[in-house]
Amino acid sequence: MILWVLMAVSIAVAAGVYLALSRDLFRVVVGLALLGAAVNLVVFAAGRMASRTPPLLAAASDAPAAAAADPLAQALVLTAIVISFALLCFALVLGARLRRVSGSDDVRAQRAAEPAAVDPVKPPELED
Amino acid sequence: MRSDDPEARSGPVSGSWLAVLPLGLFAALVWGLAAVPLPWHGTVSWVPSLGVNLDWRVDALPAQFLLLITGIGTVVFLYAGGYLAHTPRAGRLYGVLLLFMAAMIGVVSADHLLVLFLCWELTSLTSFFLVGFKHTDAAARASARQALFVTLGGGLALLAAFILFHQITGSWSLHTIAASGPLLAADPRLPAALALLFIGCFTKSAQFPFHFWLPNAMSAPTPVSAYLHSATMVKLGIYLLARLDPAFNDLLIWEAVLVGVGTLTAVWAAVLALRERDLKRILARSTVSALGTLTLLIGLPNDGAALAVIAFLFAHALYKAPLFFVAGNIDHATGTRSIDHLMGLRRRMPWTTVAAVLAGLSMAGLPLSFGYVAKDVVGAAKSGADLVVVVSYGLLFVNAMAVAVAAVAAIRVFWGPMSPSFEKVREVSWAMRLPPLLIALAGLEFEFLPRFIDPLLIQAAQVMAPGADVGRLAVSHPFGSGFTAVEVTLAIGVVLFMFWERLHRWLGRLAHLDRFGPAAVFDALLGGLPRVAAWHTRTLQHGALDGYLRLTVAALLALGAAGWWVAGFPWPSTYPAGAGRWDLVAAATLIAAGAVAAPFLRDRLALLMAVGLVGYGSAALFLFAGAPDVAFTQFAVETALVVVASAVLPRYGRALRYAEPWVRNALLAAAAGFGTFVLLAGMFALPTDTSLAGWFAAHSLPEAHGRNVVNVILVDFRALDTLGEITVVLFSALAAWPLLRGLGHRERGVTTPRAVMLERVAGAAYWIMLAAAAWLLLRGHNAPGGGFIAALVAVAATALIAIVYGPLPARRRLPLRPVTLAAMGVLLALLSGLPGVVTGQPFLTHLWWTVPLGGAGFKLSTVLLFDLGVFFAVWGALAAYVLALLNDREEGT
Repeated sequence: MILWVLMAVSIAVAAGVYLALSRDLFRVVVGLALLGAAVNLVVFAAGRMASRTPPLLAAASDAPAAAAADPLAQALVLTAIVISFALLCFALVLGARLRRVSGSDDVRAQRAAEPAAVDPVKPPELED
Repeated sequence: MRSDDPEARSGPVSGSWLAVLPLGLFAALVWGLAAVPLPWHGTVSWVPSLGVNLDWRVDALPAQFLLLITGIGTVVFLYAGGYLAHTPRAGRLYGVLLLFMAAMIGVVSADHLLVLFLCWELTSLTSFFLVGFKHTDAAARASARQALFVTLGGGLALLAAFILFHQITGSWSLHTIAASGPLLAADPRLPAALALLFIGCFTKSAQFPFHFWLPNAMSAPTPVSAYLHSATMVKLGIYLLARLDPAFNDLLIWEAVLVGVGTLTAVWAAVLALRERDLKRILARSTVSALGTLTLLIGLPNDGAALAVIAFLFAHALYKAPLFFVAGNIDHATGTRSIDHLMGLRRRMPWTTVAAVLAGLSMAGLPLSFGYVAKDVVGAAKSGADLVVVVSYGLLFVNAMAVAVAAVAAIRVFWGPMSPSFEKVREVSWAMRLPPLLIALAGLEFEFLPRFIDPLLIQAAQVMAPGADVGRLAVSHPFGSGFTAVEVTLAIGVVLFMFWERLHRWLGRLAHLDRFGPAAVFDALLGGLPRVAAWHTRTLQHGALDGYLRLTVAALLALGAAGWWVAGFPWPSTYPAGAGRWDLVAAATLIAAGAVAAPFLRDRLALLMAVGLVGYGSAALFLFAGAPDVAFTQFAVETALVVVASAVLPRYGRALRYAEPWVRNALLAAAAGFGTFVLLAGMFALPTDTSLAGWFAAHSLPEAHGRNVVNVILVDFRALDTLGEITVVLFSALAAWPLLRGLGHRERGVTTPRAVMLERVAGAAYWIMLAAAAWLLLRGHNAPGGGFIAALVAVAATALIAIVYGPLPARRRLPLRPVTLAAMGVLLALLSGLPGVVTGQPFLTHLWWTVPLGGAGFKLSTVLLFDLGVFFAVWGALAAYVLALLNDREEGT
C-alpha cells in the first residue's frame, strides 16, 4: 500500500520534469511548480507517514503522545511550500513580462540573451 | 635622460631615513648576541584552541639570518632613498618593504610550523607587490604574477608537508621535528612529506625546475632585487632545508635529491648566465647558480658541509647585494643595463667601480675577501665528501663561472674604451654610492676581524650538524702556495671570461630549445587555465533549461542507485505502518491522477486544474498523515495559486503547439520518476531515526512553552533557519521589484465583468479573513496555526479585494506598501532575537514572562513577536506578487 503512495509521488516528479522540458513558457513554469510540490512530498515522506496523530501535546498531559507524526519533516515542508509559492509567483510574473517583451512564449526564442560563443575564453558580447 | 636630471642626484631623501628602523633592530641584535647567550625562545598564546601559539626560537642559524635581514635591510633602505627619489608612489614600496622585512624576521624566528608557514606566504605576497611595483609595465605584472604563482603554490605544498610532519611526530615545533630523525625515518609517510617539502623549498629558492621565476623577477626596482632576490628571501628554502638537515642527513633520498637538483640547478643556471645581456639578469642567473650550490652542500652527509653552507651563504649575501646595487647604479646613471654598451665607466663612476671591484673580489674567491675563506671551506667540504665525478666537475665549472661573472660585473663594464654617449654620465648620489661600498667592505672586514662573526657562524653550523666537529673557518693553505682548486678555478674562470662573447653566440643558436623548458610549461598551464574554465562554464552553464534538468536527473538517478546499492537493495514489502492505510491511498490516487493528466492537457486552464489536483491531493495526504499545519498551508497555497494563475492566464495567450522531442523528454521524465521511486523505496525499507523528532517533542513544552511541536521548531528551536527563509521570501519580492513598478498610476478601474454579489460581501469578508488570520497566528504555538498559515489566509484576503475592486484598493488596505511590509516583518523577527542576546544568551533565544492576570497567568514572549514578523514578511511579499500579477492582467486588457 505504501508503494502506491511512493509511486504517486514518483509520477508527480516525472510529470513535473516532463512539463519543465517543454518549449512552452507557461508549461515550463507550471512544470517547475509541480516538481517543487513533488519534492516537498519526498521530504515529507522521509518522516515515514506512520501515524495519524499530529505532533501536538495534549492539554491534559505534558508528555508527548507516544506515536505522533514526525514534526521535523513537517516543519521543513511547511516553509518549503511557502518558498515554492513565492518562487512560482516570481516565475509567473517573469514569464508574463518575458512573453510581452519578446512576443513569443517559445523557450528557445528566449535564448537570444545568450548568443553563441565566438572567442574560446571571453564571453560573447550582448547587443543592446 | 635620468642622468641629466639634477634632482635625481640630490642627497638622501625621506626613504633613506627609514633605514633607522632596520638599523635599530640590527644594533639591538648585535647587542643581544653579545650579552645574552643563545638560544632565545618564548611563546605568546594566539589560538590556544587549535594549539597554535606564536612560538619563537632563535639559535645561531636564525641569528645569522636576522643579522643579514636587518643589516642588509639597513643599507637597502638607505639605497632605496636615493634610487627611488622622485619616483611616484615610492611610499607604497617602502611600506611593503617594511612588511616584507617583518615577515622575513617572522619566518626565521618562528618555531611553530604554522606560524612559519604564514610568514612564509606573507613574504611571497609582499614580493608580488614589490616585483610588480612598476604596475603600468605589462612585463613587470607578468613577472610578479609568475613569482606569486610559483612561490605561493610551493607554499601550499609546504603546508601539506608541515601537516604530515605534525602527524608523524605529534609536534608543531620546528626544532623538535629536526631532532626526531629516527621517528620520521621509520614512518611510511616520510617520502610524501619530503617530496612536498622539496617542492616548497625549491620553488622559494628557485631550484630546477622552478628556477625560471627568479631572473624574471628582476623587473623589480633594484633595492628589491638586492634584498629579496639575492640576500634574503630566496634563501628561505635553503634556511628550511638547513634547519631540517639534522633529521634527514643520513637518508639516501635526502642526499640524492639535494645533490642532484642542486648540481643541476647550479650548472644549468651558470650556462644560462652566458645567454643573458642584461647585467642584472646575469647576476640573477649566478644567484640561482649559488643557490644550487647551497642546496648541493646541504645534501652532503659529512660534518664539514654544514660550515660550508653557512660560510658560503654569508659570503654570497655580502658580495651579491653590492653587485646588484652596482647594476642599479649603472642603470640609474646611464639608462641601460646591457653589457653590449657598457664599457669604461670607471672614469665617470669611480665610487661604484671601487664597490664593484671589492665585491667582485669576494665573488671570485680571491684573497683578502670573505669569499676566499668561504670558497676554501666549500672546497674542503667537497673533498671530504665522496662525490660523483660529474658533480665535482660541475662544481668546478660553476665556480669558474662565478669568477667570469665577477669579472663581467667588476672589470668588463668599468674598463676598456668608453662609449662617447656616456660622456655626460655622472656618479650617482651618496645614498646610492655608500650602500654597495658598506657591504663590500663588511665582506672584506670579516676576513680580517674573524673574532666577531666566526663564532656565530660555527655555532650556526653546529645547529645543522649537532654534536659534530664542524671544523674551523680558516684557510687551509695560503694563496699561490700550490696548484689547488682555488687557482684552477681562477684560471678556468679567466678563460671563460675571455671567450664570453663566443660562448654567448654559440648558446644563442640553441634558443629554440626554450619551447620545451619549464618556463614554457608554466606559460602553457597559465594560458590553458582560462580555456579550461571557459570550456567547463560553457558545458555546464549553457543556459538551456533542458540541459540543466538532464544533469539534475542524472544526479538523482546516480544518487538513488548509490543509496540503494549501499543499503543492499532494500525493498519495503514489510513496511508495517503502511498496512490498511486506505486514506493515504486515496490521497495518493488524487496526486497520481493530476500528475498523469497534466502532460496531456494542452489547454492552460485545464493544466492548472490538474496541478491543483496534485496540490489538493498533497494537502489531503498531509492531513491524513498527522500534519494539519502543513495541510492548511498547502490548501491556502493551492487556493491562492489557482486564483492568481487564472488571473495571469490571459497574459500568456493561446497555447501553441511546438515541435518537441517528446519521446526523449518522456524518457528523461520516466527516468526521473524511476530514480525518485528507487530512492523512496530504499528509504522506506530502512529503519527510521526518530531521535531528533523525539527530542523536539520532549523539549517542546518544558523549554519553549509550546504544545504545537511543528510551530515550536519553526519559531524557536530552528528560528534562525526560519529567519533565513523569510529573508529569502523578502528578497524574491525585491528581485521582482522592477516587475511591480507602476502599480499606482496604471489603475484603470475594473474592466472584468462585475460580480455584484461578491462586491457586496467582499469588504466584510476581508475583515473576517484577517480576523481568522489573527486567530490562527495567536493560537499557533499550542494548536495548528502560526505565522505562515495566517499570512496565507491574509494573502487570500488581499487577493479577494484585488479581484473584486482592483489591485490599487487592495494595496491601500494593506498597512504598508507590500515590500515595505515584508521588510518590516523580517526586521521584527530580527529584533525579537535581540532580547535574548541582551540577557547573555544566544541570538533568538526567546524569553517568556508571566503577566499575572486573574487566576491563571497570561504568558507573554518574544516568540509572538517572531511569529508576527513571519506573518508580515510572508503577507507583504506574497501580496506584492499577487497584486503585480493582477495588475499585469489589468494592464493587458
